[in-house]
Amino acid sequence: MTMDRRTVLGFGGAAVAGVALAPGMTLIAAPSPDKTEASGDQRWAMLIDVNKCETNCTACTKACRQENNVPLFGDANRDIHWIRKLEIRDKEHKRPSVSLPVLCNHCENPPCAHVCPTEATFIRKDGIVLVDKHRCIGCRYCILACPYKARSLVYKKTSFPEGGNPNVPIRAKGVVEKCNFCVHLVDEGKEPACVQACNGEEGNKAMVFGDLNDPKSEISTIIREVKTQTIRADLGLKPHVHYKGL
Amino acid sequence: MRSLQSHPVRFTLLLALVWASVLVLSHQVMASGSSGHAAEAHSHSDYTGGPPELEKAKGEACIRPTDWMRRNHMDFLKHRRGQTVREGLRIRSESLLKCSECHQSHEKFCDQCHNYVGVAPNCFECHIYPK
Ligand code: SF4
Ligand code: SF4
Repeated sequence: MTMDRRTVLGFGGAAVAGVALAPGMTLIAAPSPDKTEASGDQRWAMLIDVNKCETNCTACTKACRQENNVPLFGDANRDIHWIRKLEIRDKEHKRPSVSLPVLCNHCENPPCAHVCPTEATFIRKDGIVLVDKHRCIGCRYCILACPYKARSLVYKKTSFPEGGNPNVPIRAKGVVEKCNFCVHLVDEGKEPACVQACNGEEGNKAMVFGDLNDPKSEISTIIREVKTQTIRADLGLKPHVHYKGL
Repeated sequence: MRSLQSHPVRFTLLLALVWASVLVLSHQVMASGSSGHAAEAHSHSDYTGGPPELEKAKGEACIRPTDWMRRNHMDFLKHRRGQTVREGLRIRSESLLKCSECHQSHEKFCDQCHNYVGVAPNCFECHIYPK
């Protein structure tokens, strides 16, 4: 999909200017052995370096589909993508077009959660926006409310995919699903599958995941010291997927 | 209703009649039970046989007393489900993964009773029972 650069950014995107960049730190503290709980002490966020992301690389989207059993129905209008690649071009052709992964921004002011009549969509203490599929009635208000097109309805009955991940349930027909920052991995002290893949052999090391509330985390350091942007910052939703080099 | 209220005598008569028929009926059922025809009461088409036979659990003891579990497992699981999804509270020693260590097949354990009593929790339409 191709889009205009200024449309994607929105006008007056918030930018943080800074100086040098400290080397990366460890990301997530190891969880206690028996019990883990989401805490407001953390604020999970993602940073994507658009200059490193290659146009034809699909490491993140593939890893996401595999990890979360995200279904394809063989119908472009119904297929579900928790993360997708957008091609962004500059209308004045002053900059080369860039490829960027787009996913749920885990907004700090999530309109999807505000409109949900059943409180199925909610924001967890650590900032991850989730859909409680046990509660979702499939009304799709949230799909209309999300300006980032991050959400999809499960239009058909799906079955467990061959070679799928048994740790992630499939979703029943008629509920809404979207990226959840691989919450099951985050709670185990791991990074989301896309970030792991991007930093693996196939990827281009364009993604960083971490805790914004920890000033020493790699993501906090970069955001503090380098210019980063969010998509459509003008909407005031405070997205937590940040982009560098957009 | 108005006609009944305005004729208390008629209403009492009606009640007496209902009572009498209940008494007669229950006598008949008891009689047939004692003479060995109890099975007929179960000939309804929805009946799936019983008592349910549960696969013997592997471990030493359940995480809660068995009789408590029989009554409360549904509320317990639902409560934990809510906590897990909404608060990220994951207690490994009380997770479904832990259940599956002893009750190794949901078909031979959970489903046995659920089919018997005719309830259909749809957990495993989406969740994969841990093996
Ligand atoms: S990106 Fe969309 S789905 Fe995600 S939190 Fe924001 S409004 Fe909700
Ligand atoms: S579709 Fe589900 S999650 Fe979305 S608003 Fe309706 S009930 Fe909430």
